[in-house]
Amino acid sequence: MKRILEIALGIITGIGGFLEAGSLATAVQAGADFRFELIWAIVLGAACLAFLVEMSGRLAAISKHTVADAVRERFGFRFYLIAIIIMQLVMLLVLAAELGGVAIALQLVSGVSYRWWTIPVALVAWVLLWRGTFGLIEKGVSVLGLVTLAFVVGALQLHPPLDDVARGALPHLPSGDAAHYWFLAVSILGASISPYLFAFYAAGAVEDRWDVSHLNINRVTAGFGMGFGGIVAIGALVTAGIVFHPAGIEVKSYEQLPVLLTTALGDWGFPLFVASLGIACFGAAQEIALTSGYMLAQGLGWQWSENLQPAEDARFSLSYTVMIALATIPALAGVDILKLTNISMVFSAASLPIVVGPMLIIMNDKRYLREYGNGWFSNTMVALIIALAFVLAIVSVPLLLKGG
Amino acid sequence: MLLVRDVLDKQLLDRQGHKMGKVDGVVLEYGTDGPPRVLYLEVGAVTLAHRLGARVGRWASHLAQRLARVHHESYRIPWTRVRKVNLEVTVDEAVEETRVNVLEDWLRQNVVERIPGSGP
Repeated sequence: MKRILEIALGIITGIGGFLEAGSLATAVQAGADFRFELIWAIVLGAACLAFLVEMSGRLAAISKHTVADAVRERFGFRFYLIAIIIMQLVMLLVLAAELGGVAIALQLVSGVSYRWWTIPVALVAWVLLWRGTFGLIEKGVSVLGLVTLAFVVGALQLHPPLDDVARGALPHLPSGDAAHYWFLAVSILGASISPYLFAFYAAGAVEDRWDVSHLNINRVTAGFGMGFGGIVAIGALVTAGIVFHPAGIEVKSYEQLPVLLTTALGDWGFPLFVASLGIACFGAAQEIALTSGYMLAQGLGWQWSENLQPAEDARFSLSYTVMIALATIPALAGVDILKLTNISMVFSAASLPIVVGPMLIIMNDKRYLREYGNGWFSNTMVALIIALAFVLAIVSVPLLLKGG
Repeated sequence: MLLVRDVLDKQLLDRQGHKMGKVDGVVLEYGTDGPPRVLYLEVGAVTLAHRLGARVGRWASHLAQRLARVHHESYRIPWTRVRKVNLEVTVDEAVEETRVNVLEDWLRQNVVERIPGSGP
């Protein structure tokens, strides 16, 4: 019984935690500009993420070490230092976009500019981390995040032609502006394969004291959780493909988006959209802020746990505090949140090799994984993901300049 | 056992299993005869800075000397106190009796405990 509950929670974590500012924004832009043509990018991204999540969970369950730990221990301080600087900068950008997303949701409800909402949002996020426990945050984010299923319901209400949707799930060349098409493909992949997601997941497995007996749950959570999570993003893409694409509407800001769900769901559409945007971004913001503290603490050997009081792990608690404070700056300065989201997804994609690359070596290290190391299948997959990561890293910034 | 592969950069635990940083450096002694001997493990930011290059190291030592009036050198753990080397390196010390947590303690007393809700 307990196991069934844990599996259910794992799947809920995947569904409720998948959507955030980046995956939502990239999916609706893709739907508006290319109808269903880019569904394959979400499918590919979710599949890659599922493999990486499974591996980092397995590493944590067997060795009680996370990817950040292993990067420092196995690759030395120099490599860790470069990786942590890049990761912290990318996470700062993404966190700023998520906080901005919550603030925009509140602006849509209240009519008061998102700039005014930035500090209150950051403060509430911080208080929950300062006082909350890991279980509270993990379960809160996933259960409340289920509201994002509204996009799946919305998409179904609009009766999409399913053969077109299925055709979109297979990779193919663009029918229109190629640079913009590939830019969106890269952004979607960057938003789906977020390094913070599997770093957070691995730290969570250590927080929850996983061991060998959790390997099955880990596999189910990774596979089904990320699979169903991807469906939420596909729901957002399909909705935009039906509502925006025929009308030739280009997505220029978050304020345009509620109409996606009001068209599909009527009066319920607006509150459901605002709740989805606000909750999804808020959950992601908490996870990113924590992950930033986790990666520093793990790489430098500090005491760390969200279940301790801040006074018991001062450096860890102050890390996420500083991170949240810095991440308010872009929104306070009035930066366009949608542009910020797009840029942060591109840099997220560009940073992938530095986190994914080491996985191939770590996941085959018997000192960490004993007999639970990668088999040929996982190794082939991780090698393919690394190849993809390098391609993304090379093309992302030029595409941002050309097609963004 | 290989020093760089199995010891350097590994998680350090005290005898209670408390985390006390990573092994930031290893100090060797070269005698006139025989192989070099391992004297200490080092924990501290200054050691890390020295690993990035001589100039960064000198600059970090200088900065640490100015900031911390009492101890500015990395903490040294004699090799004889190393108890276990596997994924972690366990040493026969008690973290609260060492000064590896000076920054942690300073931040707790001067920043964290001044913010409401930092304790139970």
